[in-house]
Amino acid sequence: MITREAVLNLANLSKLYLEESEIENAQKEIEGMVNFADEINKINIDFEDLPELESISNAFHEDEIKESFPQEKILENVDGGKDGYFHIKKFN
Amino acid sequence: MFGDGGKAMKYDLVVGLETHVELSTKTKIFCNCANKFGSEPNTNCCPICIGLPGTLPKLNREVVNFAIKAALALNCEVSLVSKMDRKNYVYPDLPKAYQISQFYEPICKNGYIELDSGKKIRINHIHMEEDAAKLVYKGGDTYVDYNRGGVPLLEVVTEPDISSSDEAAEYLEKLQMIMRYIGVSDCRMQEGSIKCDVNVSVKPEGSEKLGTRTEIKNMNSITFMAKAIDYERERHIELIENGGKVEQQTLRYLPETNSTESMRSKEDAQDYRYFRDPDLVDIVLTKEQIDEIKKTLPELPGVRFKKYVNEFGIAEKEAMLLVKYKNVSDYFEESIKGLKNAKTVSNFIIGQIFRSLETEAEKEAFEILTTPSQMNELVKLIESGKLNMNLAKKALMKMLESGKPVTEFVSEKDMQGIPPEEMKKLCEDAIKANENAVNDYLSGKEKALKALLGSVMKQTRGRGNAQDIETMLKDMISK
Repeated sequence: MITREAVLNLANLSKLYLEESEIENAQKEIEGMVNFADEINKINIDFEDLPELESISNAFHEDEIKESFPQEKILENVDGGKDGYFHIKKFN
Repeated sequence: MFGDGGKAMKYDLVVGLETHVELSTKTKIFCNCANKFGSEPNTNCCPICIGLPGTLPKLNREVVNFAIKAALALNCEVSLVSKMDRKNYVYPDLPKAYQISQFYEPICKNGYIELDSGKKIRINHIHMEEDAAKLVYKGGDTYVDYNRGGVPLLEVVTEPDISSSDEAAEYLEKLQMIMRYIGVSDCRMQEGSIKCDVNVSVKPEGSEKLGTRTEIKNMNSITFMAKAIDYERERHIELIENGGKVEQQTLRYLPETNSTESMRSKEDAQDYRYFRDPDLVDIVLTKEQIDEIKKTLPELPGVRFKKYVNEFGIAEKEAMLLVKYKNVSDYFEESIKGLKNAKTVSNFIIGQIFRSLETEAEKEAFEILTTPSQMNELVKLIESGKLNMNLAKKALMKMLESGKPVTEFVSEKDMQGIPPEEMKKLCEDAIKANENAVNDYLSGKEKALKALLGSVMKQTRGRGNAQDIETMLKDMISK
């Protein structure tokens, strides 16, 4: 059961403002997600039966510099930014 | 400060440190962008480190190697299997709204750093994580530079074993020194490449139960950290003495006023909702791999310090100055090969070379013109009796200025010293010319001999061996 308080707490942590009408809806949606996860959790997997899953480890990148993206490209989604920076209004 | 009996209540200070060490790998922790300080903003960035959807992080192999080195140097166990987790919080310095860190299975556990007193400060664990972006505040607005986002960090977390600001400072100095020795970080505090969060609480002396703690964030100076701890200690005690309660909170230290202020209130306390990062696979290590890395570790500062004091007879204070900077210690080690008395080199470094290296950064870099083998050659001449200390010091000054070997400045004649006949003549002359001093000496004034010695030394222009001359003078006078 996802309580109203849990939804408000999550919204607060995510810096989201929810309208009164959205709270109940979010409660239902999150509950659906949790139930889905619970459902998957019921599947009994023994990793010994799935050695290929166990063997997936150690994916590394080597410590060699590759070219980064140009600054304009990095700032493209924020209308070019300001003085080379992402620019945001005062927050908190 | 006084209870009912008019007796001052005493308190124990309890401190734990979480230190972030920025690693000096070439690239960031999850992408191949350069890990570089001081670049133009947002120029060392790619879709991975600015957190664009659909990108896939891949752990930097060197970060794992560095973590293993740190673990071994800090007496930790290395976990053969470790995993990466997501730490969720929303802030503009974190483009994905989570930081990739290690929570459930950190790479190193259970280590310690030993203080000079022999006390061990236990390390609970060390984990790998990514740094957040740099925020610049200007004219009420905020500017974000993601160059630092994704820079690899090791976070070294102690148990609450520290019981004074001095111990905290010593712990941090030692940690800094060890990280530099093993070459995983330059630990430049002013560039923020090492910084720590400090947990402080007090409890009645001897009590088992810990008091409520406060956390001071982002200390990047050892001096200020020590001051902040002392300030918090006093503040906690005052609160308790006045019947109040310490509130658990996160604080910021203000150097200008030597005080602390609250950063977030308790109601905002973060709920990080850690969970396994599904984008990153397990890190599986073998004992052989760890042993290989162990072989590459240099001799650590603690071991060198003990060697300098116990084997070479160097005073503790001086030994500390030698080991403090790795380049100095390496130079010293290289210079003393085959010498009888390593102390001579230590005296030259601390007494003469350090005089021209004023700043910490200069000492740390230790860029001097005289090579270790030239230093070795100089001291060998002293040890074989060919060169006296006086001339050696003068020669060293010239060597340091020019980078040339000692043989450029000391002639064969200087090295041969004064022939015995000439020396005898000089002593006789001095005795004749200083009758008063001779009489003074004969009547028991030991000091009078120094005047004679000085006059002979002056005649030899420093080439003479003071000890030999003194013996010769004594013999002649007593005849």
